[in-house]
Amino acid sequence: MKLKYIYKYLIVAFVAVLQCACTSTEADSKFDQTPIERLNIKEKELNDLLLSSPEGWKVVYYTDSTQLGGWTHLFKFLPDGKVDMASDFDGDTSTYRSQYDIQLGSSVGVVFTTANRIHLLSQSDNYPTAALRGKGHLGDFQFFYYGQENGDIIFKTNRNVQELRFVKAKAQDWTDLPKNTPIIEGITGGPTSPLFRLLEINDGSALHLYDFDFNANARFGTATSLDPASNQIYNLALSFTPIGAIAKPALVVKGQKLSNFVYDSVSDKFIATGTGGVSATIKYTNVPPTLSDDYKILLPGKIYARFGYYVGDYVEDAPTNSQLFVNELTAINAALPEGVELTSIQVYLNHSLGNFIYYTFAGGPAIFHYINVEEDATGKKIILKHKSWNGNPTAAAPAFLANFDKHLVNNNGVYVKKESFKLGYTNTVYTFTSASSSFRMTTWQLN
Amino acid sequence: MKILKRYKAIAIITGAMLFVACAHEDQPTESQLDFSQPNKTELDKWIDTSFLDPYNIKVYYEWNQNLVDNTRYLFPPTVEKVKPALEIVKKIWIDSYTTIGGENFVKKIAPREFVLVGGMNLNTTGTRTLGLAEGGQRVSLFQIDYLNKNSRPDVTEFIHTIQHEYVHILNQTKPFDEQAWSKLTPSGYTTSWYVEEIEDSRELGFITSYARLNIYEDFAETASTILTSSEAEYDAILASITDPEARANIQKKEAIVVQYYKDAFDIDFYALRDEAQKNTDAVLGN
Repeated sequence: MKLKYIYKYLIVAFVAVLQCACTSTEADSKFDQTPIERLNIKEKELNDLLLSSPEGWKVVYYTDSTQLGGWTHLFKFLPDGKVDMASDFDGDTSTYRSQYDIQLGSSVGVVFTTANRIHLLSQSDNYPTAALRGKGHLGDFQFFYYGQENGDIIFKTNRNVQELRFVKAKAQDWTDLPKNTPIIEGITGGPTSPLFRLLEINDGSALHLYDFDFNANARFGTATSLDPASNQIYNLALSFTPIGAIAKPALVVKGQKLSNFVYDSVSDKFIATGTGGVSATIKYTNVPPTLSDDYKILLPGKIYARFGYYVGDYVEDAPTNSQLFVNELTAINAALPEGVELTSIQVYLNHSLGNFIYYTFAGGPAIFHYINVEEDATGKKIILKHKSWNGNPTAAAPAFLANFDKHLVNNNGVYVKKESFKLGYTNTVYTFTSASSSFRMTTWQLN
Repeated sequence: MKILKRYKAIAIITGAMLFVACAHEDQPTESQLDFSQPNKTELDKWIDTSFLDPYNIKVYYEWNQNLVDNTRYLFPPTVEKVKPALEIVKKIWIDSYTTIGGENFVKKIAPREFVLVGGMNLNTTGTRTLGLAEGGQRVSLFQIDYLNKNSRPDVTEFIHTIQHEYVHILNQTKPFDEQAWSKLTPSGYTTSWYVEEIEDSRELGFITSYARLNIYEDFAETASTILTSSEAEYDAILASITDPEARANIQKKEAIVVQYYKDAFDIDFYALRDEAQKNTDAVLGN
C-alpha cells in the first residue's frame, strides 16, 4: 500500500507541474521588438537623420541662459563618422573636421568624440566669470536624442539636461556665419569704444534708462535701473546673427516680447523694436551712468590731495584700467629713449606748489604738468586746464607724453570716482575717467 | 497490485509527456548586439602596433563619458595632437624603462589603459590635475591639446605626469619603505599643499609642494622629479635650498628611491634618469 501512495503523490505532483507549465508567466509585450532591437533602430534613425540634411544643421547653443549667452554652431555630418563644424565662439569661423559617434548613454545620442569648435565651450581654463572657474562656458558635446519636431531634431544635453534644437541649415548659414563677427565686435567694442553701456527702454510713453553691465566673453549682461525709485533688473543672454543680437529669453516691455536687437553700425546701437512705440536700445556712452560728488575733493580750496598710479604695482592689475589707458601707457614707453621708463603718474591737488600732474621716470628726470582745476557742477566732473610744462608757460608738451596727457587735460573734463574695492594696500582707490574718450586710470589716494 | 501497475503506467506516461513538452523551446537566434569593429583610422592602426600589440596598453582618445569625470569640463583631444603626445610617451617613458629595466619590464608592469584628454583639468581651487592613476590600471593624461612638442618645459611637465603615475603603479606592485620615509619630514604634510610656494616646500625637505600631500605623493614626486631633471638641474635644485636639514632630508628620500628601484626591480635609478634625459633631448631635437 505504501508504494501505491508514493505513485499517487507522484502523479499529483506531475499533474501540478504540467498545469504550471501551461501557465504563461510572460507579460504581454508592449513593443514588437526587443529593447536592444529598438535601441539599434533608434541609433540608425538618429544617424540617418543627422546625415539627411545636405547642408547640415544649425544650432544656437545657450548653455545656461541665467548667466551665459548663446553660441552659433554649424554641423555637417559625413558618412564615415566625420563631421565638419564651424562656430562663432571667436573670430575664427572657419570649418574644421573632427569625429562623431552615435553612443548609448542614458539614451541614444550623438557625441563629438574628438576636439573641434563645440569643445571651446567646455574648456575648464577658459571661463568668462570668476564663478565659472573650472567650468568654462558650461558646454556639453554629448546630446541625447529625444525625437523630431517640424523637421528639427530635439536633443537634451548630457550634463545640464537642457533642450537643444538642431535646425536644418541652409548653404547661406555657412556663408553668413563670418558675418556674426563684426556684430560681436560691435557689442564687445574696441580700445576706443566708450566705456559704459546703457539699455534704454521706451515703453511707448516714457524712456527708462538702465546701466547695462555686459560681459562680452559670457555674452551676458545685467541692466540695472538708473531710476532711484525703481529696482527693476533685466538679464540679457545674447547670441548673434549677421544683423544683430537675439535675446533669450526675450525682454518683456508692456507685454511685448523684444528679442531681436538689430545692430545699427552708424550709431553703434542695438535696437529691438516692438509696436506702439515700444523699443529697447543698447548703446554706448562716455558718461558714467551713475555720477557722484566724489570729484569735489579735488576742487580748489579743498585740502591737499594726492593720487598715484605706479607701474608694476597692484594698481596695474586693476580691472578698471581701460584698454586705451594701457595702450597709451605702452606708447609712452615705446617713444622714450632706451633705458628710460615711466614709473608713475601722480596727480597733486591744492599742493603748496599748486596743482600738477607729476610724471616720474626711471633713467630720466620727472616732468611737472601744472594745471588749473575747474568744476563742472552740472556734469559732475572736473576740468583740468593746461598751465605750463615744468613751470615754463611757453614750452610745448613733450612729444612722448602729449597723447597720454590730453585724455586728462582737456575742455571736456574728467570724471572722478571713489571705488569700493582696494588694491593690495589699505589706500582708497580712485579712478579718473576721461569724459571724451575711453581712457580710465586707476590710482591710490596717497594722503 | 493491479492498481499499482496502473499507477506505474500513468506515472511513466506523464513523465514522458513532461519531457516532450520541453522539446519545442525557441532556439536563440543571432545576437542583436552590434559586435562589428568600427573602421580603424591610420591613427588607430598606429596605436595598435605601437601600444596595444607590444605592451597590451589600450589608448582611448575618442570621448567616452564612462572613462572621465563627468562633473569636470573636459574635452577630447584634437586628432592631430594624439600621435605626437603618444610618441613622447613611447620614447621617454617606455623606451627608457625598456632599455634599463629589460625588454619585458613595461610589458609586465604598466597601466593597461591610457585615457587622453585634450583639455585642462582645472579645479575650482585653481590647481590643475595633470594626470590620474586609477587602481594601477588606467592613467588619464590631460592637456594633450596644449602640449607643444618643441617646448622643453611642456614636454617635461607632460612626461613628469606619466613618470609620477607610473611610480604609483610600481608602488602598488611592490611597496617602498614607508616607515623609513614617514620618519623623515612627518610634520610637513598638508592637504592645502596648493597654497604653498615650491621654494618654501623645498626648505621643509620636499621636492615640490604637491609632495606634501602624503608620503605616497612625496615618493612619486621625488622619483619623477629626478627622472625628469638632468643631473645638473637636480643639483641646482639642491643647491637652491638654504636649510641644510631640508637638503639632507631630500637626499635621504632620494636614497630610499634609489634603493627601492634596486631592490624591487634591479634597476639602476641614475642610469634610468640618464636614459630618460637622453630620450627627452632626442624628442626635442626632432
